[in-house]
Amino acid sequence: MKQYAYYPGCSLESLAKSYHLSSIEAARELGLELKEIEDWNCCGATAYFHVDELLAYTLVARNLALAEKENLDFVAPCSGCYKNAYFTNDYLQQDPGLAEHINFALEEDNLHISGPINVRHLIEVFVEDVGFEEIKKHVSRPLKDLRVAPYYGCQLLRPKKDSEDVENPQFFEDLLSAIGSDPVEYGSKTHCCGSSLIITNREAALDMVYKLLQDAANREADVIATICPLCNVNLELYQKQVNREFGTDFSMPVMYFTQLLGLALGVEPGRLGIGKDFVSTDSMQFIMQNPQSS
Amino acid sequence: MSEKVGVYICHCGTNIAKTVDVEEVALWAGEQDHVDVAREYKFMCSSLGQELIEEDIKEKGLTKIVVASCSPHMHEKTFRTACVRGGLNPFMFEMANIREHDSWTTDDREAATLKAKALTKAAIERVIHNQPLEPLPVEINPNTLVVGGGIAGISAALELAEAGNHVYLVEREPSIGGHMAQLDKTFPTLDCSACILTPKMVDVGQHPNITLLTYSEVEAVGGYLGNFDVTVRKKARYVDEEHCTGCGICIEKCPYKVVDNVFEAGLGARKVIYRPFPQAVPKYPVIDTENCVYFQRGKCKACQIFCPTDPNSIDFEQQDEILQIVVGNIILATGFDLFDVSQIPQYGYGRLANVFTSLEFERMVNASGPTDGKIVLRDLETPPESVVIIHCVGSRDENYHKYCSKVCCMYSLKFAHLIHERLPEAEVYNCYIDMRTPGKGYEEFYNRLLEEGTHFIRGKVAEVSDVARIEEEEGKLIVQVADTLISKQRRIPVDMVILSPAMEARNDSQEVSQLFRMGCDFDGFFVERHPKLDPVATMTEGIYIAGACQGPKDVPDTVSQGAAAAARVASFISRGTVMMEPIRASINQELCSGCRICNTMCPYNAIVFHEDSNVSEVITALCQGCGTCVAACPSGIITGAHFTNDQLLAQIEGILWDVRSNLDLVPVE
Amino acid sequence: MAAKLTFSKEIANLLYAMHGNPIKDCIQCGTCSGTCPAVEFMDHSPRELIAMIGANLKDEVLHSNTYWSCASCYYCNVRCPAGIDIADLMYALKRYSMWKDQYKKDLIGPKFSESFVKMIMRTGRSFEPVLAPSYIFKYGTRGIIQEAQTASALVLKGRLPLLPKKIKRLENLKRMVRRIIPIGEPS
Repeated sequence: MKQYAYYPGCSLESLAKSYHLSSIEAARELGLELKEIEDWNCCGATAYFHVDELLAYTLVARNLALAEKENLDFVAPCSGCYKNAYFTNDYLQQDPGLAEHINFALEEDNLHISGPINVRHLIEVFVEDVGFEEIKKHVSRPLKDLRVAPYYGCQLLRPKKDSEDVENPQFFEDLLSAIGSDPVEYGSKTHCCGSSLIITNREAALDMVYKLLQDAANREADVIATICPLCNVNLELYQKQVNREFGTDFSMPVMYFTQLLGLALGVEPGRLGIGKDFVSTDSMQFIMQNPQSS
Repeated sequence: MSEKVGVYICHCGTNIAKTVDVEEVALWAGEQDHVDVAREYKFMCSSLGQELIEEDIKEKGLTKIVVASCSPHMHEKTFRTACVRGGLNPFMFEMANIREHDSWTTDDREAATLKAKALTKAAIERVIHNQPLEPLPVEINPNTLVVGGGIAGISAALELAEAGNHVYLVEREPSIGGHMAQLDKTFPTLDCSACILTPKMVDVGQHPNITLLTYSEVEAVGGYLGNFDVTVRKKARYVDEEHCTGCGICIEKCPYKVVDNVFEAGLGARKVIYRPFPQAVPKYPVIDTENCVYFQRGKCKACQIFCPTDPNSIDFEQQDEILQIVVGNIILATGFDLFDVSQIPQYGYGRLANVFTSLEFERMVNASGPTDGKIVLRDLETPPESVVIIHCVGSRDENYHKYCSKVCCMYSLKFAHLIHERLPEAEVYNCYIDMRTPGKGYEEFYNRLLEEGTHFIRGKVAEVSDVARIEEEEGKLIVQVADTLISKQRRIPVDMVILSPAMEARNDSQEVSQLFRMGCDFDGFFVERHPKLDPVATMTEGIYIAGACQGPKDVPDTVSQGAAAAARVASFISRGTVMMEPIRASINQELCSGCRICNTMCPYNAIVFHEDSNVSEVITALCQGCGTCVAACPSGIITGAHFTNDQLLAQIEGILWDVRSNLDLVPVE
Repeated sequence: MAAKLTFSKEIANLLYAMHGNPIKDCIQCGTCSGTCPAVEFMDHSPRELIAMIGANLKDEVLHSNTYWSCASCYYCNVRCPAGIDIADLMYALKRYSMWKDQYKKDLIGPKFSESFVKMIMRTGRSFEPVLAPSYIFKYGTRGIIQEAQTASALVLKGRLPLLPKKIKRLENLKRMVRRIIPIGEPS
């Protein structure tokens, strides 16, 4: 079983519990072990970077150092955690002065970073390490006729890393095709969900959520698939409030890509955290209750 | 050795004197060994400055001269000539560059003065070892090669031919004409592009002094100024140019059509045997073998069957021809490519049907184009009610090209005008970053568009999408842009978007620059010898550049450069012979071991090996003095004239004059 | 010769270690403002803010809500033709205004960030309920009830534990932080 140093991040312990459950399950079905980093700490999210950069790098570095100790790729299911880890790792490689300073602090926890560490987003592990062909082989319940709107959001793609296509990526669509579903083409797939503005500037965030839901609904999506707990919370938990503010009646299910992947791989819905959602997934029952549909 | 050196330190106004203590350097120089006289002067390059040198040579009997001033590129020739007037061999002169290499690089007066001394000392030490040399006369072959048959190449070729010189004009495509042949109108006067271009094309085709080689490419270039050996591949057209009358029956009868991605920019079709456009020069068609059914499957031959000439002009057996030509000078006029707009996915080209490139639009508005001049959407029927023209697509953008492409503002204005003219009801928006209209009659053209009612939005477009948020946006392209003059993010629903892409260097400009052994800048444009004073020459003698291969430019500038390059070549031709620098390598035949290492190293094939005497020899006429063989010779017996070991070692010792006294140097074992 | 440090120079210095180009390179094309999904909620667009920094309008910049309305989507960064890290500039301005304690007092962002940081120093992880008081007042009674209803529903769905988790080696983490900034005991 291929192992990864898995960094769930704080949301996956609470609001995004089902992301955590489904990630572990889907990975296991495909022969991967997500080995949770022992005693990990918060990555600082965006808020810590508002206050002090260096301290924020230090928080991230502790988690990276814990992964380095295991000699495994660092894998984050949250786009925010992933972005913080990816760029902190990058800066530490580029700037020996910064690395020395951070390592001085890490000594207090008997840790050290030499690097470089491979920092990955969870979806990259499925797309690159497992691959579409291998996933197809393991699909026992293809999600036939399910129109899924892949939602990339921001920080998985941006800031730009190497040669990735930040405007019109396709790998999420390809993954959704591999599990038999029908990916929906819609222009908003890389637009912003509002992220932490949902707390600090709710009006702005709800406006962004509204635009996303509207586009997905106009393209007749059955469900929006997400790759980040914050995107999921904004689109799902605050959908009711969007309806109130904008006079709409969206009831768009929002699911983690790992939940859809898990379903296609034949995992029982309850073990994927399905049922913990606020927007009912009843409209998708035809997928969940018909294991033999193919 | 009783050398008497004269040293002259130039102020260059304040260019040098501002940071270098010129008086101090001159005083110090006067104290150096062998230096007989040291002076400083405001402008050494002035005639008074030059007279100083001449008089000192005559009166004080100086044997060597050093001038510390600017780059040798600027004034080496000036001072060498002054030496000759004073009675010295021109190579008894040495120049120290204390401007570009020193005063312009720092504000630190002390450091700059110290460096000026080091550079001057290096020149003094070197000049003592300089030997007199005689320039080599080179005969100039009166024929000229022009590469590229766009408006730049056409202008250059006609200028030279009219002056009575023979020109080989090589063009890669089946016809000359270049990008200009694709345009409808030219700004700002709105002349019909074809109307002004085709007479010139016809002149080229009929001129007795022009050998036109279309559908041909240069494969190899040897030799040097005055005598370039050029290999040209003339690709098989499968049409016999000797007998073809250009009647066009073969084209009419050819049963197969393909999309024309070159001339019609993908908007129109052409036959498999084709002429790119009706006014093509030469008139002979060409068979596109990749799509020809006969070439692919061995059946058809309709063109041959219907060809009315006797003998038949269709020749399926025709082969590529390799031609060897000798020319004295070469003008490169290879033009530009348009930036591939699909690199900017947020503008939707290829994904959103009604996003067009500028070239597509040019073909569309052209009366002889695929829509007969009608402005329509991708369905080729519906006229747009509203159009956004986006400037700076790939220009002024770190992610693509940093430079301004210079012509896009003007042609974007021209597009707006043509839309107003053909579709008076349509709303036209131009989204620009800055409106750049420098040129005769250009600003007036902008004023005209303001009066015609174009909506100008100052802002770079963020994205083009089909995601409607309100009813008015349904079924439209939505252009999202910050209107920076009113500080508002706007979403403009329109039917059509036209992208104005950057002009970029040809995708093979790097290889072409290597083929002709001249320079290419970071963006792939060819490098001129001097950006202001020598814009059409290159650092390689005998090779000139004209038009957009040197940088983005419009038709008038391109034509001027074509003519300018021709004038430069014509002056060489009329001189007949030029004197070349005698900086050449020579092999000491008595010591040569015959190892032949230098033979293969020479990039100019200038070294021959004599089997009988088992030694190598440099052919002086071919040698370019690059020094590769000098460095490669394991016995160290090849000498580069004017770059001897004595000269270089003395120069190095000179530049390190103050280091030697301060450091204990331990020789490396 | 110490030149007087202008506001624009100070901001430039803050960005010195950043990976993009200096904001002086801005050509005022408006790509950022045209792209920004939150621009309607900003008192000045990102483009204007950059011009204002260049013009040394310190007070206006510090009282702007622009950077507190930034969602960190980094769309402006990837599209900026001048290669400026605009999102990072927004972070830098947030930090600057907090250091100077000159932000607009009715903003939630600064308080939220502060309580977030404090919470991490207490537990090593973040926990949503602790954050609530810092922003809930903004939405009034109706807001509190809504938030509370959502919270209890979340607890019922097993999506909200009642107590925050603490990391085991919290003391080491605190000492690490003190090595970076020797500010005494973090609260």
